[in-house]
Amino acid sequence: MVLIGVDTGGTFTDFIYKDGEKWGVYKQLSTPENPAMAVLEGIRKISRDRDAKVVHGSTVATNAILERKGVKTALITNAGFEDVIEIGRQNRFSLYDLKYRKEPHIVPSNLRFGLKGRINCDGVELEPLTPSDLTRMRDLVRAADVESIAVCLLFSFLNPEHEKTVRRELEELGVPISLSHEILGEFREFERTSTTVINAYVSPKMKRYITYLIKEVGEDSLRIMQSNGGSISAQTAMDESVRTILSGPAGGAVGAFEIGRAAGFEKLITFDMGGTSTDVALIDGKLPMTLEAGISAYPVKVPMIDIHTVGAGGGSIAEVDVGGSLRVGPESAGADPGPICYGKGERITVTDANLFLGRLVPENFLGGDMRLHDEKLNRHFEEAAAEIGLSPMALAEGILAVANTNMERAIRVISVERGYDPREFSLFSFGGAGGMHCAFLARLLNIPTVFIPNNPGILSAIGMLTADVIKDYSRTVMIKEPDTDYDSLLKMFEEMEERGKAELLREGLEESAIVCERYLDMRYEGQSYELIVPFGEDFSQTFHGMHEKVYGFANPDKVIEIVNIRLRARGLPEKPEMKTFPREGEEIAPEAVVGTRKVVFDSESHETAVIRREMLRHGNRIEGPAILVEYSSTIVVPPFASGKVDAYGNLILEIRNS
Amino acid sequence: MQVNPILLEVFKNRFSSIAEEMGVTLNRTAFSPNIKERRDFSCAVFNGRGETVAQADHQPVHLGSMPLSVASAVKDVEMKPGDMVFLNDPYKGGTHLPDITIVAPVFCGGDKPEFFVANRAHHADVGGMSSGSMPLSTSLFQEGVIIPPLKIVEGGEVDAKLMKFLLNNIRTPVEREGDFSAQIMANLTGVSRMRELVEKYNLDTVKFYGERLIDYAETITRKVISDIPDGVYSFEDYMDDDGWSRSRIPISVDIDIRGDTASLDFSRSGDQVEGSVNAVYAITLSAVLYVFRALVSENIPTNAGCVRPITVKTRKGSIVDAEFPAAVAGGNVETSQRVVDVVLGALAKALPEQIPAASQGTMNNTTIGGKDDRTGKAYAYYETIAGGMGASAIRRGESAVHCHMTNTLNTPVEALEYAYPFLVTEYSIRRGTGGKGKFSGGDGIVREIRLLSDAEMTVLSERRAIPPYGLAGGEPGTPGANILIRQGKKEKMPGKFNAKLKKGDTVRIETPGGGGYGKP
Repeated sequence: MVLIGVDTGGTFTDFIYKDGEKWGVYKQLSTPENPAMAVLEGIRKISRDRDAKVVHGSTVATNAILERKGVKTALITNAGFEDVIEIGRQNRFSLYDLKYRKEPHIVPSNLRFGLKGRINCDGVELEPLTPSDLTRMRDLVRAADVESIAVCLLFSFLNPEHEKTVRRELEELGVPISLSHEILGEFREFERTSTTVINAYVSPKMKRYITYLIKEVGEDSLRIMQSNGGSISAQTAMDESVRTILSGPAGGAVGAFEIGRAAGFEKLITFDMGGTSTDVALIDGKLPMTLEAGISAYPVKVPMIDIHTVGAGGGSIAEVDVGGSLRVGPESAGADPGPICYGKGERITVTDANLFLGRLVPENFLGGDMRLHDEKLNRHFEEAAAEIGLSPMALAEGILAVANTNMERAIRVISVERGYDPREFSLFSFGGAGGMHCAFLARLLNIPTVFIPNNPGILSAIGMLTADVIKDYSRTVMIKEPDTDYDSLLKMFEEMEERGKAELLREGLEESAIVCERYLDMRYEGQSYELIVPFGEDFSQTFHGMHEKVYGFANPDKVIEIVNIRLRARGLPEKPEMKTFPREGEEIAPEAVVGTRKVVFDSESHETAVIRREMLRHGNRIEGPAILVEYSSTIVVPPFASGKVDAYGNLILEIRNS
Repeated sequence: MQVNPILLEVFKNRFSSIAEEMGVTLNRTAFSPNIKERRDFSCAVFNGRGETVAQADHQPVHLGSMPLSVASAVKDVEMKPGDMVFLNDPYKGGTHLPDITIVAPVFCGGDKPEFFVANRAHHADVGGMSSGSMPLSTSLFQEGVIIPPLKIVEGGEVDAKLMKFLLNNIRTPVEREGDFSAQIMANLTGVSRMRELVEKYNLDTVKFYGERLIDYAETITRKVISDIPDGVYSFEDYMDDDGWSRSRIPISVDIDIRGDTASLDFSRSGDQVEGSVNAVYAITLSAVLYVFRALVSENIPTNAGCVRPITVKTRKGSIVDAEFPAAVAGGNVETSQRVVDVVLGALAKALPEQIPAASQGTMNNTTIGGKDDRTGKAYAYYETIAGGMGASAIRRGESAVHCHMTNTLNTPVEALEYAYPFLVTEYSIRRGTGGKGKFSGGDGIVREIRLLSDAEMTVLSERRAIPPYGLAGGEPGTPGANILIRQGKKEKMPGKFNAKLKKGDTVRIETPGGGGYGKP
């Protein structure tokens, strides 16, 4: 039996596998026109006709939305509410744009159909659906020749009868139907409609893709990664594809969580800096969840790992604007033309600044497969620096300072703004450009420790291999605390738990490996923003405590409202153990040091050792300044940092604050 | 000290993130849907002279008026560390009574404040003659409790007596108290972030770059103005009426563009009126600033520098510079939109490619208050409704979106029905209401609400008679309409009305479409 984690990326499809006791890593060029080809090719090479269990993070649903290549979808709503999806929340995303346009919606108005009939906020039917209206709607939908249907009726989560009736009416059309109370049983009609529509729009695409994979892999051997950091069966992924749309970054967060935990780090701020953007997430002993995520302009309210993205990366372009301020990003040079040092670019990027200061080693970039044109940099830096009266070196350091400030801002959003002190966390750095910035960013935020995992390039795939099986359920109940108590709430969870357990058993888990976590979404009466509170006998106290932590105050005299009940059924599959290495001395092997170069730190040039990371051993110590090179990334250890290699091959940097 | 382009950028980021973090705190800790769901608030950081250094992108209508609130607080009250001053008096730096501003000084060791932070939030009720405090009034005294600059927090403690007195004059005291503490929390966030900044960089550097950021916004704004051809550009448009008389109210502007400066003269505008659509000077200034800020395509901090190249002249006692005690509840929300329309209309003559036709030009303010039969509790609900945007030379106008001076969110239908005794019977796009043109204007909205308990309703809306104009041969948008449906009979209501409604009555608000651009 071989265990395989597969993550489809833009350039490479990454594999990590465990074959008996042996761990292995494999990369295959991605095949964007049909991503399944690279996935299957890699699986074939790794499994060599033996049984394999595969967990896969797919970008099919994501790309269907971003490229607007989902299927033709109809939307059924209450009459008079067909446009809710287009109106959104009435606001514009850009305040000062006199020619503002919204993202056109994926279901145009001629594919939206309204039905008479109404349920109210007590779940009571005020007006029934009428047979003639249903027939008329069915004929219209049939004539529209759609491939998928979304149904979202007001208060369906309290009383789903109308939505179910609509499904019965439309079943004969033979296309998949997504009902809002099944996809997301929560109030706020715009967000629920959007989530349901996205599901309807991408599910048929996902189904085609997965069907193609399981022909070869076998349905029972394939699991799909979700945006909540857990995996689900291939069948669920086909029906509820909306749960997979941000699974790639989620895999990275799970990988960071598992690797950190194994190494004894439970409080992490993950920092994944790539070419065009940077993802950050805060892990406080458990993976962070959000209900406020979205894709493109469309909200998606299923639970997702809370990952915050900013448009700053290695390719971000630096430019002095007309007011004399040095901007870095959000414009990016991308892969084409790319930074100046890639050969074609003409505008200075963050990567160029790193190279100019000596922090990238031209002959070691991508293992020496790609030559960096450092000779082109001098002219550009001299010209640009002269224009603003700085030295070229000051300009290069300034570009990095501004880029780091942008990333510091992103980390503050997920930490300080949510009641966490970043100094209590370690910075977990990965991604192609993370290693060059992490020590400096940690110093800015007074974070004492930086953690750089072994094999940072395939962290997402590792996350997929180690992820739990997770099914999320939720339902709006809207009860005030005085009208309920622990026991009656517990009863409300029963039905959900039965469903969760049954579905996990069907996914092939043992009963003993199933854990149900119960949560309440709570708020003070009159508030309109909820906190997700673990459910226990003292749930009110827990809520007051969390409110104090997140918002800075609690008010035990106020009435509490329980808005949603929320269940997470978690299946704990057997997890592969991480590979460890025997301890060796502190001294680095002399052959690991492949040279020295001049590198600028805090405006001074330092003679700096260049070290091959794969030749470092458990127990080795590194004193800054040093540059560590590996295939897909470069790690800068500045003079104010020192590091050691742990038993798993991770690099732990200590940051000395001046 | 010399300006370093790197530090300039770093401070640009830092000051605006402080304003944004204040907004996050206010949004998260506030109680009322009006602040939390609709985000009707603004936060800003000021220098020691009370000039804005950075303001978060919240509500444009607060742009020019926040510094006047700070100035007024500084003038009237001597603030010590741990103090905060609040106010809503439109004739002392406020705009209309529901908008309550709280100002906090930032001391850095000395005996004078080196900076200020402030936030303003729209409270769903501040007393006065009708629920929701957006009445069809004829005097400021009818609009609610008037708060001159006073210390609401002294030495870190909320003044309990003052708070009690105030809350006793307001219909929904519990919600108000929650919102006040959120506003105080937001300022505390701002004060401590400012102090951290000073600790990190030292006071002189922070002050220096605060000034340079104002210069920076000024430089860019001047550049934008110098790209407008020199000349005098005039435009006139009208408010439908003031809710009492039926006569339209002219608003006129003459814009003199000379080099990198712009002088706007509103003196030819009509006199202040009996009804509540009078605007105080702060509002007119905000509307002008919004337009010029929108002409800047770069992402610059919105601060005092954007104002420096611009002078705004008004006539005391006119509709755009009302004198005490004229009623002003609607000036902030309605008249501000028309000021934008005339400024854009005039600039369209200079910049036909850049300026769009008129947008809906109203916020369709709807307030409903009464007792919820389901709970026996009193409530006050306020919402504004989006409409059509004007089309431009390159594309059609957006439909069903808040335009210009506001950008608040709606309250979801399901949230509304949980919280209030209403049944929403329609919420849709009012198709075909955008003015026709080469590019047509955006369409308005239909919002229809049935009352499940007796209630009092006030609607303060515009563009019910005089439509949003088209440009370059484009047709005007369709005006809005307010309709009361009682026992199956439809009755057209005026643009501004107050009515006692019965359980079962339905109110249908149809918002205007935007103007078209170019010949159809």
